[in-house]
Amino acid sequence: MEKTVVKIENLVKRYKELIALDHFSLEIKEGEIFGLLGPNGSGKTTTINCLLSLLSFDKGTVEIFGEKMTPVNYRIKKDIGVIMQNVAVFDEMTVYENIDYFCGLYITDKKVRKQYVDDAVKFVGLEDFLKFYPKKLSGGLLRRLNIACGIAHKPKLIILDEPTVAVDPQSRNKILEGIQELNKNGATIIYTSHYMEEIEQICTRIAIMDKGKKIAEGTTDQLKKMVKNTETETIEILDIPEAVMEEIRDLPHVYNASHDGNDLVISCSGGKHNLIRILQVLQKNELSFGRVYTTLPTLNDVFLEITGTELRDKED
Amino acid sequence: MFLHNFKYEILHSLRVKDLIFWLILFPIVLGAFFKIAFSGIYEKTEKFSTVPIAVVESTEDKIFHSVMDSIEQSDDPLFKVTYTDEEKAMDMLKKQKVLGIIRIDGKEKSLSVSGEGIEQTIIKSFLEQYAVQEQIITDTVMTDPQNVETVVSALNSEVSSTENIPLTEGDPDPYVSYFYNLIAMVALFGSVTGLHIAMENQANLHPLGARKNCSPTPKFVSLTASLLGSFVVQAVCVIVSVSYIAFVLKIDFGSRLPLVYVSGILGGILGVSMGFMVGSFGSMKEGAKSAICMSVSMLCCFFSGLMVGNMKALVAEKAPWFNEINPAALISDTFYCLEIYSGYDRYIEKNITMAIISVIFIIIGFLLTRRKKYASL
Ligand SMILES: Nc1ncnc2c1ncn2[C@@H]1O[C@H](COP(=O)(O)OP(=O)(O)OP(=O)(O)O)[C@@H](O)[C@H]1O
Ligand SMILES: [Mg+2]
Repeated sequence: MEKTVVKIENLVKRYKELIALDHFSLEIKEGEIFGLLGPNGSGKTTTINCLLSLLSFDKGTVEIFGEKMTPVNYRIKKDIGVIMQNVAVFDEMTVYENIDYFCGLYITDKKVRKQYVDDAVKFVGLEDFLKFYPKKLSGGLLRRLNIACGIAHKPKLIILDEPTVAVDPQSRNKILEGIQELNKNGATIIYTSHYMEEIEQICTRIAIMDKGKKIAEGTTDQLKKMVKNTETETIEILDIPEAVMEEIRDLPHVYNASHDGNDLVISCSGGKHNLIRILQVLQKNELSFGRVYTTLPTLNDVFLEITGTELRDKED
Repeated sequence: MFLHNFKYEILHSLRVKDLIFWLILFPIVLGAFFKIAFSGIYEKTEKFSTVPIAVVESTEDKIFHSVMDSIEQSDDPLFKVTYTDEEKAMDMLKKQKVLGIIRIDGKEKSLSVSGEGIEQTIIKSFLEQYAVQEQIITDTVMTDPQNVETVVSALNSEVSSTENIPLTEGDPDPYVSYFYNLIAMVALFGSVTGLHIAMENQANLHPLGARKNCSPTPKFVSLTASLLGSFVVQAVCVIVSVSYIAFVLKIDFGSRLPLVYVSGILGGILGVSMGFMVGSFGSMKEGAKSAICMSVSMLCCFFSGLMVGNMKALVAEKAPWFNEINPAALISDTFYCLEIYSGYDRYIEKNITMAIISVIFIIIGFLLTRRKKYASL
């Protein structure tokens, strides 16, 4: 059986009136890339800060590596790498010095440290920028430096709080690939984001948060099964008689069909061969059609289904 | 871990541009400015004749008496003193035979002058300076009567410096107090470094604090290492300033220059500690706290005479206790003590006061930053 790395039980955190975390529980196993997905202000950062014992909380327990987490449990802290939402590096120190400084807070042996720092530099691809000051780095490179500072000591548990905010897609992909590589090398990862694409792309298991509560948890597939709408078929067709529409609506697994402009949109729940059956109906009625495509549900649909609101930010 | 933090604190501090500006460039420029401004005046001034005054003693003040005697006996006396009674004195004042009357009544000394001229101001500032240094003078007369002349010449130079009129040729440097206060300013600007340390180790005040708090290096270790590191950096800045003032501007600190360095460095430690404490208070933004540190430092220097020479005399008159705790006054006083006393008692006393204040600041800082979990980040 896999070991439990993080166990959060019934965490409650209040900021005066506001309940930022409402009986939040979580269990993360060794080797997972665990995604914490939620819109802005849903409590992701609060969860991380409570987990790290930076933030006091009103109720609940936090265990890491099977031990109670406290601010002075340095044995646990040694094995955690944290990349916070805000970039935290010294402006007056070069890329290399920054990584070396933070690594040195964990690793005392100089030789080992040098090796680790070199590894971290290579890992984030900043070899050509060692002598640069953070102010001279582009946004994406700065984020990579921020990550390098958090992971140079080769921690067993890596916590990343929205590490890709304000990063261009290319840099973002590099970061995501890097995280997967860290995971392959044995680290357990906690990754928070409000970008569901990222979460879907790399996470092995996901918890969706809203207003301080966990509203769903599971693998991507498990989560998607939670929505009734598992498949949406869109067929380009100019005109369709009402009788044919009825015929389609009567097909198994189809629960909604509408003709909107030039598109026939059919929502299906589960089942196989949905598209084939629909196309057979159209052929039988000698209707010609253009483009056909299927869209699978997204985590946004899951979120929408449970909360009735969109996960996406307006800005996205 | 301790050495690692210590090393990086030094490296980091030496690269902070503000620090280089306020702690090294600014004092150099200001020092040069003082030098130019004052040496100009120095050349223009002519010698002054002796000022006739009357002293009316309701009670006898031996010490004042001996100081006056000593003044009268010097080569180029500041005053010509007539001891008389009130009535005659008033008469002499009317007839302009004397330009001022000093009345002594127990501890109180009061002054009447006729008209307003340089002579009258000299009498006034002499009395002010005498009040400021009464303690020093008393000590000297009691314990070390031979040294009265040194005290008197120091008094002379103070009087002249407050009025920007040097009275005696070959006087060491009447403007030396400005330079003393300049060193005090450099020392106190260390508060900005102290402030950084306090902020950067607190998770709720700085992202770097959050990052450091996640690491297995205990807060006490990283704080202590950072503090010691910045003491070193601050010491370097003070050494640069003192050396510059002593060797480039050629301001005479007397024969005990090494001790000027010692108390300057101690003053720097006091400055860093002050900033450390301010930084630990409340959750204000760094900019706001920085501004507080700078203005407090400046204000302290102002009250000890960085901008207006006779400010310290005024404080000594209105709120003497403030000179005893004002860090800038303490720092510049140690330099006076070195110049005036042959002994070390007062010098050591002032240094101990500085050390005690620093320790108090550091303890308060540690108590405030001790917290490990925050209610809000
Ligand atoms: N220091 C604080 N004082 C008061 N309320 C706070 C504080 N920090 C966070 N909150 C509130 O707690 C809730 C959760 O915030 P949190 O930062 O954990 O959200 P998040 O999921 O990380 O959001 P984002 O995606 O924007 O980072 C929000 O409503 C926020 O306004
Ligand atoms: Mg957040």
